[in-house]
Amino acid sequence: MLELRSVTKEFGRTIAVKDLSITCEECEFLVIFGPAGAGKTTTLRMIAGVLQPTRGEVYFRGQPLKGVPPEHRNMSMVFEYYALYSHLSVFENLAFPLKARGYPGDEIKRLVAQMADILQISELLDRRPGFLSGGQRQRVALGRALIRDADVYLLDEPISHLDAKLRHRMRGELKAMCAEKNATVIHVTHDSLEAMALSDRVAVINRGKLMQIGPPDEVFHRPANEFVAGFLGEPPMSFVDVEYADDDGRAVFLITGTDTRLPAGPEVRAFIKDKGLPASFRLGVRATEVSVVPSHDGRHNVPGEAFVTETLGQRNILTAKLGKNLVQTVTPPELTFKVRDTAWLDLSEENLHVFADGLAVAHPRRQGN
Amino acid sequence: MASVTLENVWKKYGKVEAVRGVSLNIADKEFMAFLGPSGCGKSSTMRMIAGLEEITSGSIRFDGELINKVRPRDRNVALAFETYALYPTLDVYENLAFPLRSSKRSGVDVDKRVREVAGILEITDLLDRKPTNLSSGQQQLVGLGRALSREPRVFLLDEPISHLDTRQRVRMRAYIKRLHIELGYTMIYVTHNQEEAMALADRVAVMNEGLIMQVGTPEEIFHNPTDTFVAGFVGEPPMNFLECEYRQEGGRHVLDHKGLTMEMPPHGEALAQRGAVPHRVTMGIRPFYIDIGLEKSARHVIPAEVFVVEPLGDMTVATVALLGTRLQIATELDFRAHPKQTVWLALDPTHMLLFDAETGRALIHEA
Repeated sequence: MLELRSVTKEFGRTIAVKDLSITCEECEFLVIFGPAGAGKTTTLRMIAGVLQPTRGEVYFRGQPLKGVPPEHRNMSMVFEYYALYSHLSVFENLAFPLKARGYPGDEIKRLVAQMADILQISELLDRRPGFLSGGQRQRVALGRALIRDADVYLLDEPISHLDAKLRHRMRGELKAMCAEKNATVIHVTHDSLEAMALSDRVAVINRGKLMQIGPPDEVFHRPANEFVAGFLGEPPMSFVDVEYADDDGRAVFLITGTDTRLPAGPEVRAFIKDKGLPASFRLGVRATEVSVVPSHDGRHNVPGEAFVTETLGQRNILTAKLGKNLVQTVTPPELTFKVRDTAWLDLSEENLHVFADGLAVAHPRRQGN
Repeated sequence: MASVTLENVWKKYGKVEAVRGVSLNIADKEFMAFLGPSGCGKSSTMRMIAGLEEITSGSIRFDGELINKVRPRDRNVALAFETYALYPTLDVYENLAFPLRSSKRSGVDVDKRVREVAGILEITDLLDRKPTNLSSGQQQLVGLGRALSREPRVFLLDEPISHLDTRQRVRMRAYIKRLHIELGYTMIYVTHNQEEAMALADRVAVMNEGLIMQVGTPEEIFHNPTDTFVAGFVGEPPMNFLECEYRQEGGRHVLDHKGLTMEMPPHGEALAQRGAVPHRVTMGIRPFYIDIGLEKSARHVIPAEVFVVEPLGDMTVATVALLGTRLQIATELDFRAHPKQTVWLALDPTHMLLFDAETGRALIHEA
């Protein structure tokens, strides 16, 4: 429904967005996810029409949007620095888009009350933006964007300035509100929980380029490259540098800086046969996909040195050193390791991701894969 | 290093009472977190310890010595805030050495100290680089190292990692914790992020509206919160609360939530026998202790309506409405359901916490 075709944006010599092709379907919640400076806001501004692409086009329902000014695109937007109407009260800010479109007075009152209730700002309706905290202002801006019906909602980090607890609550509310409206949403964030929780599909971008696009489940469990793998998930994926060796016909990975040898699976062997040896191999370990115990046993046969244990109430996170690599694993809350204790990890081949020169070669086998 | 003692400390900004009679003892070498929402007084308290704010009334002592009127620079505290401004013309070694040189320690001490700090932070191979040749993550580590190199009496950190992306933040957290273990500094860490406080601290002081609500180890505040504020603030997703009426029905002790009756959990029964259970009780239960099923079963007997399901990758959270009350449930990873779908819940009684609905205090602490 909304399509970016090879969109590039250059600011002088800086290439902010490079050859980006993404589609967003009708009623889809698409998240554009990436670190600071990736080009997410630039992309959103081009969709909104406040910025023009250097090359490439934005299409809406098959029609090019070039030359269509923002106010004629029927897109409702909230940007990170909210631009609330400072001379109007919170009520009037929220009511504005409805008033401008000729909604009747009691309908406006009802919708504003409903929105204020969801965003937990009902007691603030009489205040002016100057008397609100940053988090309160951000919620008013979000409410103002969502209160009316629009073809597309463009949300730029709309809950990033809220306290952790409030942010998690608003995330759920946002998801429910958009589902209720059957809204088409393009939401920009650097928060991986938001990307996972809210999206129908997530487009991961870095340095202006698309790294991977797909349903969050797929992008999380089968990341196409190291960047995506390392950027989604809390705690983030740990990477281990390994060397490939042919041990008397057995394909193995040697963890650099240790004596540990791990079997290299069939996908790796097939990759090498097909494309030859890459410059580097790295293993990807997700904290929740790998287990660790205090004593050596059949499966837990890779020793690491405990660097630090963090107790989080419901679970602990152990950071362990394997050679020069730091690996994080989630453990049950009763299990703690003292600094420099030996921790035994289960690094069976079926629990690991394998990357060759940064690109994914193998992923853990899951049920149904 | 020093112990830090606060006695009945108040901070007023005109008529606004930001800190209301806070008393706390932080032991030598302890890692204490001040945890609470925006505006709870945690930063104001820390700033009074640092000397950046005047103390309205009350006393603050380091190792028993009153420091209310001591100038900040004479208090020998190290401060780490969000930005780590490094000296761009000096290499990493000199950045770490600078605070030591300016406090006139002997040459031998400086080199040893710099290498010790660099070793713990694992930035030894960066010592001859200039800050512009470091990644932002590396710069943060150097900034942290510089704050530490002077061996302050107390190390104060105010939300030092909240603006970093997840990767940097999680890594910095592990390093800060390791630093504390290796160097044994007295550290006071201000944050609104309960996971950070839990991960790093020996003890956590949970604050709200200028008051300390509870001080305890992460385990204590998580498993034995003294009131509903602490119970609801610590833990993510947060604890669920159901307002109930306590009744005796034919010799059984029951909790009634809007007509839904549940057996009083065993520890609650003991309290009830002693007459320690009021008529109105708030029952708290964490998302991990509610089981959810798509079909009714022998165990899953409580119907609820799905509000939203959020798959987070390594955890999935379902928010449901039970008789108008929202509950969050940590489900199986692949649990999926549509908004407004009916699902069936089982609540684990052994993990139900009971609070006085009027005061918010945990019943077990009243008895």
